[in-house]
Amino acid sequence: MSPRVIGANLAVSLKTFSREKSAMFFTIAFPIILILVFGTIFLNQDNASFDLHVQDLDQTNSSAQLVKALELNGKVKITAVDPAIDPTRYAKDRKVSLVLVIPRGYEKALARRLGLMGGIPNAAFRDPNASVTVTYIYDASASSTSTKTQLLQAGLAVVNQGLSGQPPFIRAVETSILAKKYRFIEFFVPGIIAMSVMTSSLSGAVTMNAELRQKGVIRKLSTTPITRADWILSNILYQFVLAVISTAAILVVSYGVFSVRLQINAWLIVFLVLEVFAFGGIGMILTRVANEAESAAAAANFIMFPMMFLAGSFFPIEMMPAFLQTIARILPLYYVNEGLRASMVSVDNTAALRYAAMIGVFAAAVFVVGTTTTKWEEGK
Amino acid sequence: MATEPAHAIDVENLTKRYGELLAVDDISFHVRTGEVFAFLGPNGAGKTTTVEIIETIRPPTSGTVRLLGMDVTRRKRDIVPRIGVLPQGFSSFDRITVRETIQYYARLFSRRNTDVDGLIELAHLEDKSREQFKNLSGGLKQRLGIAIALVNDPEVVFLDEPTTGLDPRARREVWDVLLSLKKNGKTVFLTTHYMEEAELLADTVAIISKGKIIAMGSPTALIESNANYLVLTLKTIGEAPFEIIQRMGFEPVRDEHKNIKVRVGHTDDIQKILTAMKDAGESSLGLDVRKPNLEAVFLKLTGEALREGSPEGVPE
Repeated sequence: MSPRVIGANLAVSLKTFSREKSAMFFTIAFPIILILVFGTIFLNQDNASFDLHVQDLDQTNSSAQLVKALELNGKVKITAVDPAIDPTRYAKDRKVSLVLVIPRGYEKALARRLGLMGGIPNAAFRDPNASVTVTYIYDASASSTSTKTQLLQAGLAVVNQGLSGQPPFIRAVETSILAKKYRFIEFFVPGIIAMSVMTSSLSGAVTMNAELRQKGVIRKLSTTPITRADWILSNILYQFVLAVISTAAILVVSYGVFSVRLQINAWLIVFLVLEVFAFGGIGMILTRVANEAESAAAAANFIMFPMMFLAGSFFPIEMMPAFLQTIARILPLYYVNEGLRASMVSVDNTAALRYAAMIGVFAAAVFVVGTTTTKWEEGK
Repeated sequence: MATEPAHAIDVENLTKRYGELLAVDDISFHVRTGEVFAFLGPNGAGKTTTVEIIETIRPPTSGTVRLLGMDVTRRKRDIVPRIGVLPQGFSSFDRITVRETIQYYARLFSRRNTDVDGLIELAHLEDKSREQFKNLSGGLKQRLGIAIALVNDPEVVFLDEPTTGLDPRARREVWDVLLSLKKNGKTVFLTTHYMEEAELLADTVAIISKGKIIAMGSPTALIESNANYLVLTLKTIGEAPFEIIQRMGFEPVRDEHKNIKVRVGHTDDIQKILTAMKDAGESSLGLDVRKPNLEAVFLKLTGEALREGSPEGVPE
């Protein structure tokens, strides 16, 4: 093993990488785009900010107070609708899924219910049956309608309950199973790290072993003092550098744009190393099984794409039917995903250790098979 | 300390089988230190298999091969630093420049004192040193491959079909580089299916066909012992000259341009033919005398053309 030879190989690989636009794209730009796109989608869901269009026909202080109450401390963004226009037409034209119409006479009805005459309490004026009917104008085909309706009901329930003058009987507090509250983006980032390290390691191994063999570069190398061990080690080292580069890019964007709160510790390095060995090993086996570079690349894609969707890179596997969950649990990427989440999100060292051990055993097995099957000299 | 052996390469009873296929069939030869030795033969004759066995990258089925006095199956680690190889269909890293590629290979040999500029100059690549490999033409790639084969200042250089697939001009440019190499006194093992290449560069030529060496010697000696005649080509009008030559006991033929071609044993015969034509009042519009080349030797020994579409030139 020669550090000088390994250094020379690493330099050539990194130069090639820096001059190859498509490699740069898939290693750095692609995961960043995924983070930005999915992060933005999830961000809206996390903040649960909903638009509510309200037409206030009463135009009084009381009706304004109701509108204010419906904002639910900023969870709902209220848009006022001009009282002069037809609310149904408005909803249709603007593609608004829900418009709340507060009727004229709202304040009057409220005053009778509370027994207030000109703002002064007057028991004779009080009518406990006085009520008012608000109207929901909604688009049943819009997916957000039911959520908005529920929120609105909750808001109105609060107002009604307040009018009763009694404190609420059942109250609720929330306790997360995680040490701290985390957002969907924080679940997503470790999945994207695992995914991009998998792609760069697998396709890197295919390029290094199949493409260069097909071109005859390996044949030339076999007439120089470089050994198979030097070659494999430089490839692994190169793939590890790529893994670090893409992970760093992903983290910079995640922190910079979405202010994620993740634990960055030694586990991250452990999982990156194990994943590089695991998928580099799979890549070496693939290139040995598939004779041509194109078929090796196709086989790599065949392995990578289902794994990305099934192993819980983009969403928790608990969302999938049971049989798909069973499949997910035999995929190596699942263990990387879960391990990274255990270390970065839930900060559960025991779980991280368990996943690291599982992926470690797998990585050791495929890497040993991969190195022993990697052909260096010509056919015996 | 061992003195330099007289033979750089010794091959004895070398055989290589791929399953049923007998690629190399019990061949023996040796290459003297400092000579350019050419393996001449058509595609599939066993040239590359033989050269790869000598280069230590392919194991023989049987027989012994000694390179610089060392057994190639046992001493790869000692042999590799002392040889330089241009493999068949040489290729390198697409995005790496000419200079960087040479430096890379020099580092693989752990050599700090490689004269990168000297190698670039030798291969006439001065204008291309910053060009990436993928942008080089076929001829430039081969010249870079030759430069790389020399990064470790090797004692023996193997060039496996250095000009295959190149146009005639690019081929001549590669030959220029190889001639400078020959001048430097390196032992060179060349494989080719171009007879001009073997004739121009080689001190010794081994003609290989179907895994066997069918003739070996200097190009001149091979031609003299296998094709010791001259070919006279005459451009004439009418049928009379053809008949005159026929009556003299020669066996003239017409080539594709309707020229008369006749094989003669000696320059005196040419004189006789020309005199006979003059006496009969016939004249020649053009005349050409050629010694046969290795192509003719190969044709005679195997009954096959060396490569498809090769100019025959010589009537049999």
